[in-house]
Amino acid sequence: MLKIDNLHVTVEGKEILKGLTLEVPAGEVHAIMGPNGSGKSTLAHVLAGRPGYEITGGTVTFQGRDLLSLPPEERAREGMFLGFQYPVEIPGVNNVYLLKAAVNAARKHRGLPEVDAFEFLTLVREKMRLMRMEESMLSRGVNEGFSGGEKKRNEVLQMLVLEPCLAVLDETDSGLDIDALKVVANGVNTLRAPQRSLVLVTHYQRLLDYIVPDRVHVLVKGRIVQSGDKTLALELERRGYDWLIGEAA
Amino acid sequence: MSNALLARLRDEYGAVRDALPDSVIGGERRLEAIEALCAQGLPTTREENWRYANLRVLERARFSPCASPAGMADLPAPLAGFTRFVFLDGVLAMGEPVQHAGLGVRSLRSGAQGPAPSMPQRIPALPEARLALLNEAFATDGAAIRVKREAAVPQIELLFIACAPAQAGASYPRVQLSIEAGARLTLVERHLSAGDAASLVNGALRVDLAEGARLDHYRLQQTSTRTAWFDTVEATLAQDARYSLIAVSPGALAARSTVHIRLAGPGAEVALSAAALGDRQQSLDTYVLSEHLAPRTRTEQIFRGIASGRARVAFNGKIAVRESARGTDSRQSLRGLLAGPEAEIDVRPQLEIYTDEVRCSHGATAGKLDENMLFYLLSRGLEPEVAQRLLKWAFLEDVVSRIELPALRRRIEHELAGQMSELASLKELLR
Repeated sequence: MLKIDNLHVTVEGKEILKGLTLEVPAGEVHAIMGPNGSGKSTLAHVLAGRPGYEITGGTVTFQGRDLLSLPPEERAREGMFLGFQYPVEIPGVNNVYLLKAAVNAARKHRGLPEVDAFEFLTLVREKMRLMRMEESMLSRGVNEGFSGGEKKRNEVLQMLVLEPCLAVLDETDSGLDIDALKVVANGVNTLRAPQRSLVLVTHYQRLLDYIVPDRVHVLVKGRIVQSGDKTLALELERRGYDWLIGEAA
Repeated sequence: MSNALLARLRDEYGAVRDALPDSVIGGERRLEAIEALCAQGLPTTREENWRYANLRVLERARFSPCASPAGMADLPAPLAGFTRFVFLDGVLAMGEPVQHAGLGVRSLRSGAQGPAPSMPQRIPALPEARLALLNEAFATDGAAIRVKREAAVPQIELLFIACAPAQAGASYPRVQLSIEAGARLTLVERHLSAGDAASLVNGALRVDLAEGARLDHYRLQQTSTRTAWFDTVEATLAQDARYSLIAVSPGALAARSTVHIRLAGPGAEVALSAAALGDRQQSLDTYVLSEHLAPRTRTEQIFRGIASGRARVAFNGKIAVRESARGTDSRQSLRGLLAGPEAEIDVRPQLEIYTDEVRCSHGATAGKLDENMLFYLLSRGLEPEVAQRLLKWAFLEDVVSRIELPALRRRIEHELAGQMSELASLKELLR
């Protein structure tokens, strides 16, 4: 599904990712953990195609295609989804309008007709119930006046409606109380499927109690320094990152 | 301002003065207007509050009124529940006079329908409002509207259609509106062009709101992008009167609108929301003065302007609080969006306060589309062009969402949003 090979990324002249290599096969859930400033969010943004990052080396292959050569909107239409750590508020752009425009953009890309308005709303309402979101949020501006938790739920709602092949969730757990975390995790879990891959970027092990990963990677100073199964997350919870930072130096 | 131009203005007036209808404006008053205008000169961009207007067109203008066209232009679909009056080049072409207890609407020109409405007294012309004098000198017709208190709120639509090219003369749309104590009116005023006529339009609108009167006024300036459109609104509000003015201006090559609102009675309130969209070579300039003359008066000014291509969009909003206006409350939110490397935005709040105990807040920004918002939309698969249009749309929503007439709002949304028409249908589905 996703293959990152020796990726080097520079932001404003400073190298953040220094030869990152990672492979996420179809159907798997991978967690990327690491201390602050290790490059986790940079990785997520680079995968989604955010401007401002300079790729100085390496390759990223997504479903056999060169991901880095695609503009952000095409990555999305090819089935890549980024759940933002800080979803932006866009007053005046209706939530449901954005959802529909996004779904139709992907459908058009696949040569399908536009989604039927009634079927679409039925689907969205069903997903909203799953995410325990008020229906009134649909007609509000994108994330406008949403609490931190509501924004994260809205990210997952978009993901559920778009049904991507690859979802990268950037600290989707941060700022959530325990009930909201369960709702979000439950939403994410419904999307687990043999043809779909998930990358969870997180600081804490807590999310992984609810979304159990197949693999856990530790990112330190721009490189994956350790990979393992779900028990690695528990070990990190116990021992912190210091023992790995030493190795990375 | 060259003397040659003023001499030509006088000559043109002299040549047509005898043909100008007395029933619209008396000859003496027209002459006074010409004299007052010549004493001040025509506006130039050297004047602070005219500097963003495109005034070059005045230098080669033909001031005398064009002949009223025969026939009828294509009209937009009517608004349900509104009584429509159509003016071609400023002259009434369609719409029966209304004369009953609560409402009177008539053409100024047709003297046959009883006594002419009394001419409102001239407000000492501000330098910014002096093109109203030009209208007063040359106007060939106009709408006189009088509203008395009644159970039902009358709804009137005035369509002004510019037909003649500027070489054939100018058109002078004119409205004199008086709302009596406690009465209320909803007015839709649209300015359009017949085809892509390159016309010169210089409108004047007088609004008098008596005690407790209320006006909900929607103005759409959608003339052709070859038209030069000038306009002066002068409104006086008595005690507790409320004036809501929502103006949307995507039209004209060169537009300048001057709005002077006098809050003359205690507790009077004005809420002005304006949106301007300029593209290509368009120049859209608005000057608004809220003059607080009485205690506890309120102003709210909202402006959202978008400049694309090589367009220039300007909004100059001034709040003047006179000594007599204690307890004034004013708010301004002026925002411009630069959507092209060669475009220009000028938003300028001005405050002039001569008393204590006032609350005046203002915010003015001009910037580009927010990169974070743009990336968010792209990351959801939207085309860059669609994403940009959506963000421009969102920017205007602060103004458009204030339109309380659903049919009108939808129409404007459709016209502005182009391809995003499913937006409106989806909204309805949710209700």
